[in-house]
Amino acid sequence: MSNKIETIDAHLYYGDFHALKGITLGIKENAVTALIGPSGCGKTSYLRLFNRMNDLIPYTQISGQVLLDGQNIYQIKPAEIDSLRRNVGMVFQNPNPFPKSIFENVAYGLRVNGIKDKSLIEAQVEKTLQQAALWDEVKDKLNQSAFELSGGQQQRLCIARALAIEPTILLMDEPASALDPISTGKIEDLIFELKNQFTIVIVTHNMQQAGRVSDYTGFFYLGQLIEYGKTRKIFTNPTKQETENYITGRFG
Amino acid sequence: MIFPESNERRKKLGQAIMFGIARGISYGIVGLLLLILFFIAKQGMGVVNWQYLTSMPTDGMTKGGIYPAIVGTLYLVGGSMLFAFPVGVMAGIYVNEYAKEGALKRFVKTMTNNLAGVPSIIFGLFGMALFVNQMGFGASIIAGSLTLGLLALPIVIRTTEESLKSVDDTFRQASYALGASKLYTIRKVVLPIALPNILTGLILAVGRVSGETAPILFTVAAYFLPKLPSSIMDQCMALPYHLYVISTSGTQIEASRPMAYGTAFVLVAIVLIVNIIAALLRNYFGKKVKMN
Amino acid sequence: MDLRRYTEPFFENLIKVCGYSSGFVVLLIVIFLFREGISFFNFSPVEKGYSLWVHSNNPVKKLEPAQIKDIFDQKITNWKSIGGKDEPIHLLSFDELSQAYSPTQLGPKFEHLPRCLDSFMDSLPGTIGFFPEAQTVGQLKTAREVEVDKIALSKFLTDTEWFPTSRPAARMGVMPLLLGTMLVSFFAILFALPLGLAASIYLAEIADERVRKILKPIIELLAGIPSVVYGFFGLVVIVPFVQDAFNLPVGETALSGSIVLAIMALPTIITVSEDALRTTPRSMKEASLALGASQWQTIRKVIVPYAASGITAAAILGIGRAIGETMAALMVTGNSAIMPHSLLQPVRTIPATIAAELGEAPYDGLHFKALFALGCVLFFITLIINLLVERVSAKR
Repeated sequence: MSNKIETIDAHLYYGDFHALKGITLGIKENAVTALIGPSGCGKTSYLRLFNRMNDLIPYTQISGQVLLDGQNIYQIKPAEIDSLRRNVGMVFQNPNPFPKSIFENVAYGLRVNGIKDKSLIEAQVEKTLQQAALWDEVKDKLNQSAFELSGGQQQRLCIARALAIEPTILLMDEPASALDPISTGKIEDLIFELKNQFTIVIVTHNMQQAGRVSDYTGFFYLGQLIEYGKTRKIFTNPTKQETENYITGRFG
Repeated sequence: MIFPESNERRKKLGQAIMFGIARGISYGIVGLLLLILFFIAKQGMGVVNWQYLTSMPTDGMTKGGIYPAIVGTLYLVGGSMLFAFPVGVMAGIYVNEYAKEGALKRFVKTMTNNLAGVPSIIFGLFGMALFVNQMGFGASIIAGSLTLGLLALPIVIRTTEESLKSVDDTFRQASYALGASKLYTIRKVVLPIALPNILTGLILAVGRVSGETAPILFTVAAYFLPKLPSSIMDQCMALPYHLYVISTSGTQIEASRPMAYGTAFVLVAIVLIVNIIAALLRNYFGKKVKMN
Repeated sequence: MDLRRYTEPFFENLIKVCGYSSGFVVLLIVIFLFREGISFFNFSPVEKGYSLWVHSNNPVKKLEPAQIKDIFDQKITNWKSIGGKDEPIHLLSFDELSQAYSPTQLGPKFEHLPRCLDSFMDSLPGTIGFFPEAQTVGQLKTAREVEVDKIALSKFLTDTEWFPTSRPAARMGVMPLLLGTMLVSFFAILFALPLGLAASIYLAEIADERVRKILKPIIELLAGIPSVVYGFFGLVVIVPFVQDAFNLPVGETALSGSIVLAIMALPTIITVSEDALRTTPRSMKEASLALGASQWQTIRKVIVPYAASGITAAAILGIGRAIGETMAALMVTGNSAIMPHSLLQPVRTIPATIAAELGEAPYDGLHFKALFALGCVLFFITLIINLLVERVSAKR
């Protein structure tokens, strides 16, 4: 399998704070890669490199290369950032549906990107809600406010929202950390379903989760990538002492 | 999925236009304010000098100074704060330190908000009914001060409450852990930390009170008094009321225009000074509190 | 140490009492305002100490204040039009009486006034007279006092005329003042809301931190400037500008009031809606941007809808400020208490009416009470607005 995303010696500074210290890593296409590590280790910052979300934080500096399909996304024209972001879907830690109806939440990405054909939008909304395993639960109340859904449903709605514009990459920043175990299970099932069509990168705190859903795992610590490899290998036979300490729960 | 290319251009263009409008409006508003300040400063600066500030008005208030109005405003501000500050600070302490979460606290806060929303002319009516007539003070400094004090009360209560809320709970717990009583903790630990912010609120209340006209119309303000008040039962002149009368109801409105500009300038200067002091206080002590 | 056992409970109770002070003050305001305001409805609109007289045979027994005013303004000239006989109305004035009768006939202290009146009424049955009660009550034979209704609440709230000092009977209708207030405030918000919203969006979402740190304090300063200074600025700048721009006889108009009040409402609207916009979770903005939305699309479609209730609260709060504003409205709106039908016309607001007239209203008289009743109306409006703001902003 080829690398969908590749970073070469990527550094990130927030003002004086050196958040990422030269990360070199390739992320495989159509697989799930988990990023694990203790809080503040840089895993979320790393994730946010791929759709240039870090640009939004003032005083941020980035060096090194971030290649997506071989193209350095930090050398594209500013006008192309929106199309980059269309190609990279993102799901956040807390469910954050927009203050709109369920239908409009999913249709949002289509509308802001200029799709006006009503039947196309309707078809796409249904398709993605089904992809996100939410269609049966919401098909009769598409015009209700998204805030009326439960937390787990909201998070699946956010996944549908991200899928609606057909990205090839899906970034998930602790997507289940705010959910109960049953909702978490549904999200994990969903990730399993989706990985055939998307390259998924998931940041998680939860070791078991990383073990369950991911094919590859990278362990971050203090802004550095300590170890990266097949998930089974990282969890059963890590090469680095820090990785083992973290996985066995000695810190973090 | 294929997205129309033209949409990208439209998005960019729409954003550029809307951001331009928003920026233009913001700068326009700020520009308007500066224009008002500049206009009043330019017209008033020529009038205001030491003599203007320290002499009596003469010639039907078309000449002379505004000394009695300044003194009157000082009395009124002082008198109102004498009432509003202690009562307001204690009320703020009650709301933040004593009142338990629940219906009662909500009620007290709602009432404070309502009081803050009462139009100033209502305070004027109320002050007239209660202090001037019912309590028999007549139009006097004490009636006017109390009326203004009531108006300032919610401002003091709210800033005190906010200041106390920003004091970290660990300070209180540390004090309780040493066996101090609640009141002692508030007095010796919480209040000193919150004091700079409370003072900021007090200063802002002073700024507000010194410019209020409607509450003093019927409770204290005198159209023209060629002498200073000798007791708190006297009427007095006041800057905002003075500006109102010489700009609208004098017989020689045109002739007294320069005097009006001068008074407006003094009022604006008070507001500016008050805001600057408040900002400095906040900046200076803001850091100190954090360091502790 | 021992002393503290006594002082501490004392101070704690004092703190508690002060805690209730704002509730207590609101209560006192309500009591005093309404005590004075409600007693207004026990007053006859006919000037105190006077009464109106018609011939005993006149079938008209009762008159409305509006009819009295029209009669004395000679807009109604025949009893027929108000349900009486077909008979011209004759307004008897004191001058006329003293011409018709010699001083000896009237008596040196007008003690024979009733007799003279009786004979005058007989000779001219269409007469209506307005005389001091002291000299007439119970002494007239051919004349009868006209009943005049007290001003009912419904009349007070709906009457379209405000002539508080007109004789013999005052007309006191809130309508022209209420509509004047609403007109000025509505247009003030109409001007201020889009501008304020644009500025709050700029400050919350577009401006970088350095620019914001300069602009914000200046806008807050705008809130601190006394209303009388705004009124003065309006008087010397806005009023002449409006007069010239629309080629009006006077520049003191509803429009001038709306402009000045709009300027004054701006800081409230900007700060409250900026705070509301800032409550939008960062992740929600990022979710929108991550879908390829531009920053402006995110503002328009996500941030503003999310902050909608806060922005509504800002607008209502701004209206409340404008409705209650006294000095600026008093100085620039022209103060003419007529039903408004154009922005380019002088109008008068409720607070301005109280401020302008209370000083001249005789203490405890009808007019004085009427202004307190106006105060009650104003208090009610602002109370509703405050509760509305609380309701709207508590929504989330």
